Amino acid sequence: MIGVLICQIVLSIVLASVFLIRPSLTHAASWKILAFIGLCVLPALCIVGGMNTHVQRSEQTQFCISCHVMIPYGQSLYVDDPGHIPAQHFQNHRVPTDMACYSCHADYTIYGPLKDKLQGLKRIYVQYVSTPPDPAAIRIAGGFKNAQCLHCHLGARSFEENPVHVAMMDSLKSEQDSCLGSGCHDTAHDVANVSHLKMWRPAQ
Amino acid sequence: MKISEIGIERLLRISSLLVIVGLVLEIVSLLWFHPLSFVLFAFVAASLIGLGVLVYLTSLVFAGASDHENRN
Repeated sequence: MIGVLICQIVLSIVLASVFLIRPSLTHAASWKILAFIGLCVLPALCIVGGMNTHVQRSEQTQFCISCHVMIPYGQSLYVDDPGHIPAQHFQNHRVPTDMACYSCHADYTIYGPLKDKLQGLKRIYVQYVSTPPDPAAIRIAGGFKNAQCLHCHLGARSFEENPVHVAMMDSLKSEQDSCLGSGCHDTAHDVANVSHLKMWRPAQ
Repeated sequence: MKISEIGIERLLRISSLLVIVGLVLEIVSLLWFHPLSFVLFAFVAASLIGLGVLVYLTSLVFAGASDHENRN
């Protein structure tokens, strides 16, 4: 997909180069049309294609952990302990492994992806302009919402038939009780201790 | 200084140059797997391409205006 986009960009560069060297060509009607394609239509399509590629790329696990402060969060996905929620989801493919961070941290509302990207820009600012925080001190603004868990688990048989879940379903849906903070699934990314924990090594 | 004095051909050259530089930067941002590559694309490459398109559209407006003057 990226190859097609690069071919389109190269074609656009070639066309634009023609009009950089010989702008007088646009006196002829057919060249005027070509100039419109090369200097307006193709560049606009390149912006759309580039934006689409960058947005898709920013949803990848590798992209998320390419920031220095996120490295221990990436390591925590390999903790050999089923009590660690992110590790359990990642290792058992309960989330797509190449989009592990995005699957649980995306805002699934209508303007959610836009909010996520703006939040990402803020983090880039903190990383490169301000002082990046200690990885263990990073907290999600407003806490981790149950809606992130319920987006997948709601309607799933094993979740709905669990008597504990049945008893607290209303309070989980209304965010009165937290899936992570109510003492049931309280170990998420234990980044402070990740270097001391036993790690799972996937078979090659 | 009026834009018509600058010349339509010169505007086309400026537009082409902006679009080419923007597109080259877009290729760099696509091949560079780094959080800053998005910043490079969104704030530099896309802005340069957009500006190039805008300059080209401006040249079209002035080309149309000079044709109209010639007919009169």
